Amino acid sequence: MTTAAIVTTVVMSLVFIGGLWFCFSQMGKGGKWED
Amino acid sequence: MAEVTRERWGSRYFFLFAAMGSAIGLGNVWRFPYLTYEYGGGAFLIAWIIGLIIMGIPWMMMEFGMGRYFQRGAPGVFEGIGKKWEWLGWWPGWVAFLIVTYYTVVIAWSLRYAVSAASVAWGTGEAGATGAGSYFFGTILNLSSGPSALGGLQWPIVGALAFVWVALFFIMFKGAGVIGKVAVWTVTIPWALLVVLLIRGVTLPGAVDGLNYYLAPDFSQLSNVDLWFGAFSQIAFTLSLGMAGMFAYGSFIAKKADVTNNAFITSFSNCATSFFAGFAVFSIVGFIMQALSVPVEGVSASGLGLAFVTYPVAISMMPAMAALTGIIFFICLFFLGIDSAFFLTYGGVISPLMDKFGWSRAKVTAVVCVIAFAVGLIFTTGGGLYWLDIVDRTVSFYGLLITGALACIVVGWVYGAGKLREHINGTSDFRVGAWFDWLIKIVVPAGLLFVVIRGGFMNDIPDAYGGYQIGALNGSHIIWIILAVTLGFSFWLQAAKTKTLKGGE
Repeated sequence: MTTAAIVTTVVMSLVFIGGLWFCFSQMGKGGKWED
Repeated sequence: MAEVTRERWGSRYFFLFAAMGSAIGLGNVWRFPYLTYEYGGGAFLIAWIIGLIIMGIPWMMMEFGMGRYFQRGAPGVFEGIGKKWEWLGWWPGWVAFLIVTYYTVVIAWSLRYAVSAASVAWGTGEAGATGAGSYFFGTILNLSSGPSALGGLQWPIVGALAFVWVALFFIMFKGAGVIGKVAVWTVTIPWALLVVLLIRGVTLPGAVDGLNYYLAPDFSQLSNVDLWFGAFSQIAFTLSLGMAGMFAYGSFIAKKADVTNNAFITSFSNCATSFFAGFAVFSIVGFIMQALSVPVEGVSASGLGLAFVTYPVAISMMPAMAALTGIIFFICLFFLGIDSAFFLTYGGVISPLMDKFGWSRAKVTAVVCVIAFAVGLIFTTGGGLYWLDIVDRTVSFYGLLITGALACIVVGWVYGAGKLREHINGTSDFRVGAWFDWLIKIVVPAGLLFVVIRGGFMNDIPDAYGGYQIGALNGSHIIWIILAVTLGFSFWLQAAKTKTLKGGE
């Protein structure tokens, strides 16, 4: 793969992994989930 | 009037999987990767992420939040805002109903192909590569000359379609509790299969060339309006919003539970899946480029062409594990589609009908499944592909975008975006600021209307859509008629008496 394609892959992976990590780290800080 | 005890998901993870399953569908595989390649790889991804943040996530928060507040599906939500707005909940319900009538036919094709792939029925080697197109359009569809020439039903597809609807009935007739548990499997199985397909794809010769086309950024495209149109349209279509179902899914959340974080997780997971699927798709595109010595422009990398012609071509040319790869690919498509199908049917149609008329779930589910199957038969005829194209353009483009924009305007300006924000912030894992109000009131509807005007009206008003002619009517006329009729039916449903109590606080 070209360097540009690799950089795109790494950046997007960081965006998604970082975003989801933040979201899951916040789980349970709001209202109580009632089943 | 009877008080309704609202059904619940049973677990937050069941809800998340159900919402992710509804969003993650066939478009993640056959639309997103192609758009990324078409509009400058990494440059497109920038616009796509911006679209996700300023349009997709706020829109999803709105649908989840309003559903949770009123504890009702879309029509109940808009009835709660004001009786005169109830039609705005039914119209996207019609959109969902019509989408699922042809979406299930595409799922049926996938099942049919999973069987065909076991013997690579379209042929192997060069013969298969040249015969894949005629196998799909001839053997499978028996495609006629146009929408006026329906021809006969294609019975293998009818059988597969019946199987799909029976499966959907058994998934849906016990409600959200079972839907959530099924969604855990219908989301994780295609994820696992995409990993297998990715590994198979990147180990094929030429795969790297395809990935470079997929990802290489061309930042000069950022000044191209078409790039922004493509990015915003993809966000509008990929999250399964504007189809009524997310209101209902949100209504199955208890009033003290999170909205914002669930919307972020659902949206990010959906988009991450799209990005990942692009590797599986474009590694195959690169393989075909090398195997057949054709340029990237010569490989159909989107839509039905990708799924039912290009991928079979690749299977024909594979040096090993061709049949197995084909079976895995088409089973993956089946699972990608099935959870979107029960989302559309249950969230968009069945739950609102139960809310409105107080009918039993099993009865409504059975009736809706039978009617949707019957309507879907038109798409299993020789002229079915043309009708699928027209109806898809009508509901999945115009219907979704117009009803989505109107819903945001009514919620933002009539109900009050600030009121919705306070309600959401009251229980969510993290809070959103006043910027949310302006996104719902202005940015989201403007973005949706931008797509519908630029991609729709500017093309279909001066020129007949698809060049179709059915008697005295052309393709565009059919589109306007279907939109008008579904709008009329929405007002008719609004006029009917509501037999269950309103939700809300």
